[in-house]
Amino acid sequence: MRKSLLNANQWTSNGIMLFMLVLFGSINSLNAQSVSGVVSDSKGLTLPGVSVTVKNTQVGVTTDIDGKFTVAAASDATLIFSFIGFATQEVAINDRKIIKIVMADNTESLEEVVVIGYGTQKKGDVNGSVSSVKAKDIADIPQVSFDQMLQGKAAGVTVTNNSGQPGSAVSVKIRGASSLTGSNEPLYVIDGIPISGDATNKSTHGTPIAGSNFSNQGSNAVSPLSMLNPNDIESMDILKDASATAIYGSRGANGVVIITTKSGKKGTGKISYDTFLSLQEQTNLLETMDLRQYAVLQNTLADVYGQNRRPEFAHPELLGSGTNWQKEIYQTAILKNHQLSFSGGKEGVTYYVSGGYTDQQGTVIGSAFKRYTFKTNVDARLKDWFKVGVNISGGITNENLTLNGQSNGIVSTSLLVAPDVAVRNLDGSFAGPPVNESSISFINPVALAMSRTNKLVRKNFMGNFYAEAKLFKGLEYRFELGANTEYSENNEFNPTFAWGSAVNENAILNVRKQDYYSVNIKNLLTYRKNIGKHDFTILAGQEANESRWKGTALEARGFLSNDIQTISVSEADQILPTADYIGSQALYSYFGRIIYDYDSRYSITASIRADGSSKFAEGNKWGYFRAASATWKLSNEKFMEGTRKYIDNIRFKAGFGQTGNQQVPNYLYGTVLNTSATGLGTAFLQSNYSNVDLKWESSEQTNLGIDFTLLDSRISATIEVYNKTSEKFLYQLPLADYVTGGDSYYGGFASPYSNIGKMQNKGIDITLTYSTKPGNDFSWNSTLIFSKYKNEVTEIQDGLDLSRSILLNDFTPAIVTNTVEGKPMGLFYGHHYEGIFTSADQLAGAPTYYGNAPQLGDAIYQDVNDDGAIDEKDLKFIGNPHPDFTYGFTNNFAYKGIELSIFVQGSQGNDIMNLTRRAGTLNANLYTNQLAEAIDFYTADNTDAALPRPVNSLSHPNNKISDRYVEDGSYLRIQNVTLGYSLPTDLISKLKLTRLRIYGSVQNLHTFTKYKGYDPEVGSFNQDPLFMNIDNGRYPTPRTFTMGLNVEF
Amino acid sequence: MKKYIKNAKMVFVLATILGLASCSDEFLNRPPEDNYSADTFYNTDDQLIAASNGLYGKVWFNFHNKAFYAIGEIASGNGFSYSSDVNTLRELNANGGDPEIGNAWKSCFAVVAQANGLIRTLPERIGPGVSDEVYDRVMGEAHFMRALAYFYIVRLWGPVPIIENNLDFINTPRVNTNRVEDVYTFIENDLQFAIDNLPEKMRGANYADNGHVSKGSAKSILAKVYLTQNKYPQAKAMAEEVISSGEFKLYGGASLPSKSYGDLFLTINDNNEESIMAFQWTAGVYGVGNGCNTMFAYSSYINESFYGGVFAPSQDLMTIFETGDIRRKETYMLPGDFYPNITTKDGPGFTVPANIDAQVSGSALKKYVVGKASQAAGTAGSNGMMANNTYVMRYADLLLIHAEAILGDAASTSDAQALGSFNAVRNRAGLGNMVSITKTDILHERRVEFAYEGEYWFDLCRIPRAQAIAIVQAQNRGDKNNAVYISGVTASDFVLPYPSGEVIKNPLLTAPPVAYLFNQ
Repeated sequence: MRKSLLNANQWTSNGIMLFMLVLFGSINSLNAQSVSGVVSDSKGLTLPGVSVTVKNTQVGVTTDIDGKFTVAAASDATLIFSFIGFATQEVAINDRKIIKIVMADNTESLEEVVVIGYGTQKKGDVNGSVSSVKAKDIADIPQVSFDQMLQGKAAGVTVTNNSGQPGSAVSVKIRGASSLTGSNEPLYVIDGIPISGDATNKSTHGTPIAGSNFSNQGSNAVSPLSMLNPNDIESMDILKDASATAIYGSRGANGVVIITTKSGKKGTGKISYDTFLSLQEQTNLLETMDLRQYAVLQNTLADVYGQNRRPEFAHPELLGSGTNWQKEIYQTAILKNHQLSFSGGKEGVTYYVSGGYTDQQGTVIGSAFKRYTFKTNVDARLKDWFKVGVNISGGITNENLTLNGQSNGIVSTSLLVAPDVAVRNLDGSFAGPPVNESSISFINPVALAMSRTNKLVRKNFMGNFYAEAKLFKGLEYRFELGANTEYSENNEFNPTFAWGSAVNENAILNVRKQDYYSVNIKNLLTYRKNIGKHDFTILAGQEANESRWKGTALEARGFLSNDIQTISVSEADQILPTADYIGSQALYSYFGRIIYDYDSRYSITASIRADGSSKFAEGNKWGYFRAASATWKLSNEKFMEGTRKYIDNIRFKAGFGQTGNQQVPNYLYGTVLNTSATGLGTAFLQSNYSNVDLKWESSEQTNLGIDFTLLDSRISATIEVYNKTSEKFLYQLPLADYVTGGDSYYGGFASPYSNIGKMQNKGIDITLTYSTKPGNDFSWNSTLIFSKYKNEVTEIQDGLDLSRSILLNDFTPAIVTNTVEGKPMGLFYGHHYEGIFTSADQLAGAPTYYGNAPQLGDAIYQDVNDDGAIDEKDLKFIGNPHPDFTYGFTNNFAYKGIELSIFVQGSQGNDIMNLTRRAGTLNANLYTNQLAEAIDFYTADNTDAALPRPVNSLSHPNNKISDRYVEDGSYLRIQNVTLGYSLPTDLISKLKLTRLRIYGSVQNLHTFTKYKGYDPEVGSFNQDPLFMNIDNGRYPTPRTFTMGLNVEF
Repeated sequence: MKKYIKNAKMVFVLATILGLASCSDEFLNRPPEDNYSADTFYNTDDQLIAASNGLYGKVWFNFHNKAFYAIGEIASGNGFSYSSDVNTLRELNANGGDPEIGNAWKSCFAVVAQANGLIRTLPERIGPGVSDEVYDRVMGEAHFMRALAYFYIVRLWGPVPIIENNLDFINTPRVNTNRVEDVYTFIENDLQFAIDNLPEKMRGANYADNGHVSKGSAKSILAKVYLTQNKYPQAKAMAEEVISSGEFKLYGGASLPSKSYGDLFLTINDNNEESIMAFQWTAGVYGVGNGCNTMFAYSSYINESFYGGVFAPSQDLMTIFETGDIRRKETYMLPGDFYPNITTKDGPGFTVPANIDAQVSGSALKKYVVGKASQAAGTAGSNGMMANNTYVMRYADLLLIHAEAILGDAASTSDAQALGSFNAVRNRAGLGNMVSITKTDILHERRVEFAYEGEYWFDLCRIPRAQAIAIVQAQNRGDKNNAVYISGVTASDFVLPYPSGEVIKNPLLTAPPVAYLFNQ
């Protein structure tokens, strides 16, 4: 009462006012009066569900759907307005009856909670290295899979699209690749359920989800994460350093991405509808030969090969331009996306329900992706000490795959198929090579794409249930049961056809059915204790994970027509099982963690985890992973008080941790048999060499960092340096074929896996952000992310080379990368090209080339060992796929309801091996089209040529892998430009809407690069870390124009 | 408050029990569920026989599918192709990057690895249910196959590492090669072991029983191994043991007059009386069938694939058959030839069209072409691959070895036994007797008898290099329009380069070979 009187004194100039106040005040002190008002955010949108309480009383209400409230309060009382995501405000009523409140965004409370694995922590308190990406950071990006959206959004996270095919896998590398085994993908934990990012299933059944069993058959890895609708994501927290990931122990070596989906908030129900429509197009075409150029090439090559010229090419100048196959296989594709979600909360129960639909055509004809997603999150506080919740999501995808990433894929074929073949005959049927052509190199790719079906249907269901109980003060127990299951079916039908001389009379159906599930159980105890300035959080937990899979693949033939494509209509004696597999794996873990904080100045986190894995033999099953990190908040020290107006927050972090990796196939400690058919009956062959000594790969990482913010938090920076060492990394021994006999499919022995060596990644991650002061009409915020790492393989068992070969044109394998001690992994490997032999003088005294004397017009390679013979011993490192650095630069501008966002992203200093261009300039076969530049080859009349003389042999020294095919792959890409407009609240409130926003965006607007292929963002072929930046007919990433709409009411 | 703690405790105790209960060694033990492990197999006779079956099929696929012909036929001048995956040896300037050289290498070493797998595993793993008879037989087959693989390897590449137990090489894979003479000793030892352990057989009309090799098969291969090393007396003795055993017969001719040379190549006649050893294909998934029908047939009109005619007869091969030799028509096709057993798209029976022109040869191959699926050809497997066997050795080969071993280093021979063996082969082909034969006669007879069966290259490799160089430089290696003759062929062109990938992994391969330390 004293306070209200004091307040009243200010109004003494108005006697009447004073009188009224005293009057009402006195009444109020006995009977509260009614105060009403409306609450809105800084953009003028009214806020429903805001809690309004009268200070020091039990009285409280929440705002209604229009943001309005009415509360009974004394005229001198103070109202407290609070709402998640906004700064809590205290407002004195001061006798007002109507109060208008604008809630200021509380970026701190929204952004600063970070998920750290089995718990959350305020961002400012996290001792390890964690990057967070929030829903708003990835809004408006028309990608169907969330992993693609991480690109350029978090420091230290390198994301590359391995293929432009809808639904295909991406490579996410956190702080460089740390392992050479199978996949280097991080562990994803979606609402508590661990999901491996490994798209190749190497660590489970070893068979792809789509396509054939043979390795190296094109990019067939589909994203394991394309099942989750990105719209459902609330936040992604990326645990980068080992002190953060060690709590995930066994599976944390490649980093951990924790995904939290949206949940409901207290208050009135909210309905949101989000939609966008995109047009996608191929950004550029390569210059291939038209018919006239092709005829000239065919004539010249026939002369060189000593064959007769084709009579129809006698007068190339009289021919037309022929078919441009690239134009025929690319299309402008439509991407449609709709999502409807409902959320809200009442009396301790919150819910979020959504349904989504995505329909994407591929830019390459015949590829498409459809997805239906469903999501339900419910949380309920049943008692004040007991809470339960469940997250359930389901997704169905239906994809049409084209063969890509391979020399006989649609993309490569479009460059190599001859332009003298039409797409269609006059009667509308598909055309093919003339009947008298005996050498068919490539078949009409349009006909292939339109006639072949390759459908993949995946059905995924994921659920996580938890119960949380407060046992006594400070001690919480949480139980979680999660499960993830996926059923997939791939049908590939190769129809009968007769396209010119390309005739196939045997239709073949390949059916692959797989199912997979994993169950995860967690028991967690968390104890929080505060004693004065000492703050403890102690976690103890246990987790068990089991995965089971099985699958069958069949090949059926003997179809009477192409119409019905099921096994039941094929010929009974022509159904062959091509694969049949079943298996399981298990992990069992215990872990503990202590977080200790002293006076918000010093903080220490220490953790330990023990993991038992079924991958290893008795005695090697258990791995132990420890971590510790510490933080010093310099700015909270007393002596720093004076500097706070400039630097408001300085924190130093240091951490060290160990993590493990066991992502290898099962039962490598024993020998498994393979079944095969022979004319004598079924046969059993041994399939692998075992290694009973196989054990955990462990990785150690040291992280040092500094965070600071300047000028009222408007500028903030995080700088971190790290040193990550993988010890005993798992790798399949690169044994020569005379020891293994080659592929185990053909009766060779798979090499044993071994803990083969040591690798190091050193790097620096920088994040700088700037934002204007909140509350103004105009705001700008900008984030620059810079990442740099240096990879070095420091030790390999027995000093072995880890050379790797890829299938080139016509299925011929060639070594393209090699990995040796003291160098980064996966460096390009080949000859150093020095030009062409153009004179007899050069030939005299020239070395032999693989045992033969070179001729005029042959390629000159460096004789590295100077022994007068060019051979395998003259191969050297000819390029580095690792970038010097990568960066992302996001700029968001807002003025009233208008927002503009520009996102630029790039990679600098990395090389690309352009095998697509090699195939297009080989001149090794007739009946094959080439790039326009291929005509400039050496002949006696063209000695100043760019290319060596053509030879009708793929393995001729002229056609060897050399730095002729290595190009600079640096690029800067305008990845996304978005312009959005939110209609003013007063306008839309008449329509009962709380939000109406329209936006338009362009994705992949322009790329600045010197690279001569389609797209410098090549990625890793099937996520293989030793096949980085190998462009072998990769499906290019399209340019996407999007119009979108967000409605909320 | 008390109640709340009690509730909580119950939840806690329950969950802990739930959690701990699942942690047992059993939970973390995951043996393979979809196939046998080596620890749980080799317990019965049937399992051992199934293990031995594996040495006849897929392990040889990569060697046989293209390399066998790219090397054996194109390099030797019997074959011709413009297809750049198989024609590197057309001018005898192959390098280690050639994919077919790599395929031949790894396939032969897969056979070595699998044979060693049995030789290593069986003695310590077989169960009590295995009979001595089957154990001996399977061990004999494993030694036979290892010898056969090394016989191909040593003739193609010369010095190579001798691998008796692959496990010894896992931690020390970089080794020197062993001397050619040691590789041959190793082969002879293995074949002797096979002769001692394999069962006696008499090839009869039940062809299914003939598939697995016998004592006679091992003796026949050993005769060839001896002849290759010019060990004439041993070759002759071994050949005579086989001949006198009566185990094998020529298909057609005096011994089986109802059959013919052409019948040898019908799928229904797989494992006939003349077959000494054959790769045993089946119409199944990719890798278990015979691809010749696809590679050799001139077009999809007569095969089960969508292309054909990758290999063709060379212009040179088309000049070597005598008039009246029935083998000509069974080796390559000419316009107007009629093949009653080849089923085409239009039904049984195939008359060769006038425009037949595989690889601009003006002809196309017949041998190993069985046509579309039919009773004689059997069913088709993946990629149009068929079940017809590939001969590794047939009795005609042994007869010619016999004749050549008797001739020895003499200029010519009129030995009755030699002429008997030699003329039996000629008579079956519809040709008359010769009264005196020279080495050139025998090599010629071998070439026409075994054209496109992968023999001629090995014959060229075992005669004096100068003679072989003269032969290949005299061959027309062009198409029907443009004659091509190669020059500058050197002795080293008759030894294949090691695959590039292998040299990268083990640079010692190109270092001088070392002596092998034999166990005994």
